[in-house]
Amino acid sequence: MGRIGEAKAPVAASDALARGRLRASLVPDLLVEARRIMNTVIAGWHGRKKRGIGENFWQFRPYVQGESMASIDWRRSARDDHTYVRDREWEAAHTVWLWADLSPSMLYKSKSASVSKESRALVLVLALAELLSRSGERIAWPGLTDPFSARNGAERLASQLAQSLSAPARPDLSGIRRFSDVILVSDFLDPVEETMAWLDVVARRGARAHLVEVADPAEESFPYSGRTEFTDPETGDKLTAGRAEELAEAYRNLYSARRHELAAWCKRLGWSYTVNHTDRLASEALVHIHMAMTSDGHGPGGRR
Amino acid sequence: MSWLSFGFPAVLWGLLALPVIWWLLRLTPPKPQTEVFPPLKILAQVFKKEETPHRSPWWLTLLRLVMAALVVLALAEPIYNPRQPVATSSSALALVIDNGWSSAPDWKLRVATAERLIKNAEAKDAPIILAFTAEKANAQIGPYSAREARERLNAAVPRPIPTDRPEVYARVGAALNDLPGATVAVLGDGLATPDDQQSFASLFGQQTGNVIWVQPDSISTVAMTAADNQVDRFSITAIRAPGNPAPAQVTAGVFDDKARRIGDAAMTFRPGESQATGDIIVPFELRNDFSWIALDGQAQAGAVRVLDENAKRRRVGLLSQTPVDQSRLLLSPLYYIRRALEPFADLVEPPSPDLIEAIPQLLAQKPAVIVMGDVGTVPESVRAQLITWMENGGTLVRFASSRLITAGNDAELLPVSLRLGERSLGGSLSWTEPQPVAQFPSTGPFADLSPPSDVTVTRQVLAEPTPDLVDKTWAVLADGTPLVTADRRGKGMVVLFHIAPQATWSNLPISGSFVEMLRRIVQLSRNQGAVGARPDVAAASLAPYRMIGSDGVLTPPSGETRPLLVGGAKAPAVTLDNPPGMYGTEEGIYAHNLLQADATLAPIERPAISVPVADERYALDESRDMKAPLLAAAAALLLADSLIVLWLGGMFRRRPRAAHATTAMLALFVLASSFAATVPDARAQDSKPGDIEAVEAISKTRIAYVLTGVANTDSISRAGLTGLTQFLIEKTALEPGEPAGVDIAKDELAFYPLIYWPIDPDAPMPSEQAIGRIDQYMKEGGTVLFDTRDQFSNGLGADSTSPATQRLRDILSNLNVPPLEPVPSDHVLTKAFFILPEFPGRFNGSPLWVEASLDAENTQGRPVRTGDGVSPIMITANDFAGAWAIDDSGAPLLPTVPSDPMQRVLALRAGVNIMMYMLTGNYKSDQVHVPALLERLGQ
Repeated sequence: MGRIGEAKAPVAASDALARGRLRASLVPDLLVEARRIMNTVIAGWHGRKKRGIGENFWQFRPYVQGESMASIDWRRSARDDHTYVRDREWEAAHTVWLWADLSPSMLYKSKSASVSKESRALVLVLALAELLSRSGERIAWPGLTDPFSARNGAERLASQLAQSLSAPARPDLSGIRRFSDVILVSDFLDPVEETMAWLDVVARRGARAHLVEVADPAEESFPYSGRTEFTDPETGDKLTAGRAEELAEAYRNLYSARRHELAAWCKRLGWSYTVNHTDRLASEALVHIHMAMTSDGHGPGGRR
Repeated sequence: MSWLSFGFPAVLWGLLALPVIWWLLRLTPPKPQTEVFPPLKILAQVFKKEETPHRSPWWLTLLRLVMAALVVLALAEPIYNPRQPVATSSSALALVIDNGWSSAPDWKLRVATAERLIKNAEAKDAPIILAFTAEKANAQIGPYSAREARERLNAAVPRPIPTDRPEVYARVGAALNDLPGATVAVLGDGLATPDDQQSFASLFGQQTGNVIWVQPDSISTVAMTAADNQVDRFSITAIRAPGNPAPAQVTAGVFDDKARRIGDAAMTFRPGESQATGDIIVPFELRNDFSWIALDGQAQAGAVRVLDENAKRRRVGLLSQTPVDQSRLLLSPLYYIRRALEPFADLVEPPSPDLIEAIPQLLAQKPAVIVMGDVGTVPESVRAQLITWMENGGTLVRFASSRLITAGNDAELLPVSLRLGERSLGGSLSWTEPQPVAQFPSTGPFADLSPPSDVTVTRQVLAEPTPDLVDKTWAVLADGTPLVTADRRGKGMVVLFHIAPQATWSNLPISGSFVEMLRRIVQLSRNQGAVGARPDVAAASLAPYRMIGSDGVLTPPSGETRPLLVGGAKAPAVTLDNPPGMYGTEEGIYAHNLLQADATLAPIERPAISVPVADERYALDESRDMKAPLLAAAAALLLADSLIVLWLGGMFRRRPRAAHATTAMLALFVLASSFAATVPDARAQDSKPGDIEAVEAISKTRIAYVLTGVANTDSISRAGLTGLTQFLIEKTALEPGEPAGVDIAKDELAFYPLIYWPIDPDAPMPSEQAIGRIDQYMKEGGTVLFDTRDQFSNGLGADSTSPATQRLRDILSNLNVPPLEPVPSDHVLTKAFFILPEFPGRFNGSPLWVEASLDAENTQGRPVRTGDGVSPIMITANDFAGAWAIDDSGAPLLPTVPSDPMQRVLALRAGVNIMMYMLTGNYKSDQVHVPALLERLGQ
């Protein structure tokens, strides 16, 4: 009887170089897949859809007292008795911080999943990078790049990822400014308090975060039975269960309690929390995040 | 340890290693399945609550320890129950073994004991004399070498016959004379025989060295000594060894000739008693099927008893001088007797009614009983034969009749002397009342019958009052006159019923008591035809048929069995040539049983012997090597351990969903199979389907019409019969159901009193079978109303026929049509409900043809002719259905020709008359005479 879950690649906990090479070899494939998934989403991507600083005409509206006289469009106002102001569509670039958890625990892939969690996280992040670059947003990877705006944002991010030898498990998020969006793709299996403490700086800065939890179905359903020894891929800790099936109920309760707590915390902050299972399609999560980002922070934000 | 010894006791020290093994086993848990699991931190929180079984469960450890202990024990080569040797002399060993019927259950013990003795003798190289007491007198006894003796011992079998000790012991004693100082081992069956003293004297001569006396500890044998078919029960007697203080119960099973168990009897031995009796109270008919009786749990020949003809059905001869008149069966003198006897007796009737021929013919059948229905005088030429038959046990039953009265007294063939003339009780010229039957006398065989309360006797023959009349009387009337008398005649008897065997003199022959009385008489009788019981033949040689084996099982005879000679002065003996069992053929069985009625099972007594005697017991030589079973047990435990380890490793739960699916599939399968067992409709096996339709068709009277296949005609028929039904409901008490259209080729016709058949030349000609069915229907009492509907379409010429008439002729040519006539004016059809001179339909003028009532007579000018039966056929051309036909609103559908409303009413009335005629027959023709009858009665 084979095992249910496995680490997708033979990665030692400290072997950063191997990780880097692996990631480099993985990225082009992921990029192609990210483009393919993104193409299904882009049809719904219609600019900023609000007035603001920009070059394109957005609307005429009646002048209200106190506004700058310079904003009055005299050509339009001359046609009747009212005074009109020309609004332009908001086209100011937005900074979106993208980050995917690349820790060893993300390498896990169970039998019923189609890809490993890391693969899914990178696909999601690169797809978002592609999406955002095309619409002219500034993207950044905390601890890896500063915000930049480029048409080929995804490629650049990928090459940066491939070149980086080691990435900290939890990057420093203090460089994130106000009005930025932060997209964090991880399995969020660490204790909830640690995750909250890590993200607290983002919340204090006033930036909006979108948490995407990539979960393997085996982690959720716990299909193990019999005498089983469990190994933590990050720490190497081992636990041996005599009758694993007896643990399943309590484990599932704890697992979902963690998720619910995190999601509730995000909701309180006005953030979104999205769960994506590796046996489902990546585009599901992409659509969720997309909706969460365009909903101005009040619309349907992911699962919560 | 006397029952257990070890080949290598030192190996048992290995058991000390068990604690070490225990300590080791506790340390090694089974290897777990390894799994990578990222959310280990979450899982770790769960683990805090669970006590991790780091060690194997205690019972698994125990299992493994037992396994180890078994292996250690097996290596020590344990031997179970080694027996101590018995001292035998070195000169010679004489083994005298009883292999009679009672040794069969524990024969193996005897063989094992004998083998031990042979082994001892072999060790001392002594010759062995081996003799069995139930073998043939000339069987070899040795001396043999040990190997030969062992072969002969193993070839010997217990026999289902008694032992013959004197003969065999004498031979052994003679043989021992040449072998001084020999050991004599007596392996007895524990039962005493009459000649024991003498036999032992001949066995233990002066030369005997010592004696080994082996007898069973107790005699557990139970044997059956008698099985009697009594009047109302079957009683069985069983014996056991005397002096047994404990009560005991044995069950006997009764089997028929197909070895089916058809009865049981329980017998209880009271404390200290050696005989027990049990009854099987089953109906007489069932008792006749008894073929043999066996005691449960006794696998020996003495516990089986075969039964023969003496217990079986009797043959009863019936004699009557009146030839049987089939049309007046109830007045036949033998009718009630035959009906009463048939269930429990084989009835024999002579082909010839002439007594001179009939009585010898009957006697040749050797009946147990001869019943004379109305025989008066027995012809002189056969009288002697009849009396001889009676003297030999025949039972003659006679009935009073006018012939008997005219024949006068007959001292030999009547039990009492009769007064001439009969006595008539009741009637217009007598003061006396018909007499009921009094309580049956307690001396007769009817004593336990309760007297019938509803039986009265109006005529009887009277007996001359003699002093012994009371003794001969079996049944009396309330005034003390005898009803049934009987007297012995040698082994047989003669019984006289003082009434006639028909119901004319008394209603006794039609009462249940009559059956009971005849049954008692028949049970008292004995079959005269048992094979071999014929006195004129000295001895008959009967081939063996079924033998009782030594294990109490009935088997086909072996080649050794000789034919049995029976019929001599004394009963044949049970020998090896004639073992117990059934002899004869299937038709006639002679039961050759092992034990006589006076047999006992007395225990043998040890004679006074001058030489040393060693008491020994029968026992199996059980020194058994235990190594292999112990190793097998260890291997089985190892297998169990492997399964348990796999189970603990989760092997059987790795896929709970699959398991659930399997369980669900299994449950579904079980469910489906249970459904499959019940779902097939029981009606599928219904040999006569269509019950629902039949019930529907007969729950209401329905008028039927023939579906011709032409839609127009059929709808008119239906509408017409609906109209008639409406009219019937309005005018008469008859409320028919919906008209029924019948397909004469398929549908059951018997449900309908009348079938209306409109002849349509366009319709296909019905098949031969369909017309055959119509013919059958008409024969069984149904009526078909043919309507050609062509009154005005016929040509003017006399010989011109319309197509419909031609078709009718074609149809009728295949039917058995009685002679027809137009309805005569005094026919009951004209007066069945309405008074009708004619029967118009849509057309008027055509006569209604019915069966000609040829033998009807109307001589006195009555309004209706008399006559039986209902015409099976009616033919008209007036188109009844057309006139009756109404639509849904009740309005007439078709005009009458000529258009006259009264004609339609008359047509409906004609229909009512036809229906009434169908349903009441000639009742109305009788009814019209009621005024005349009343007038004649003067009211």
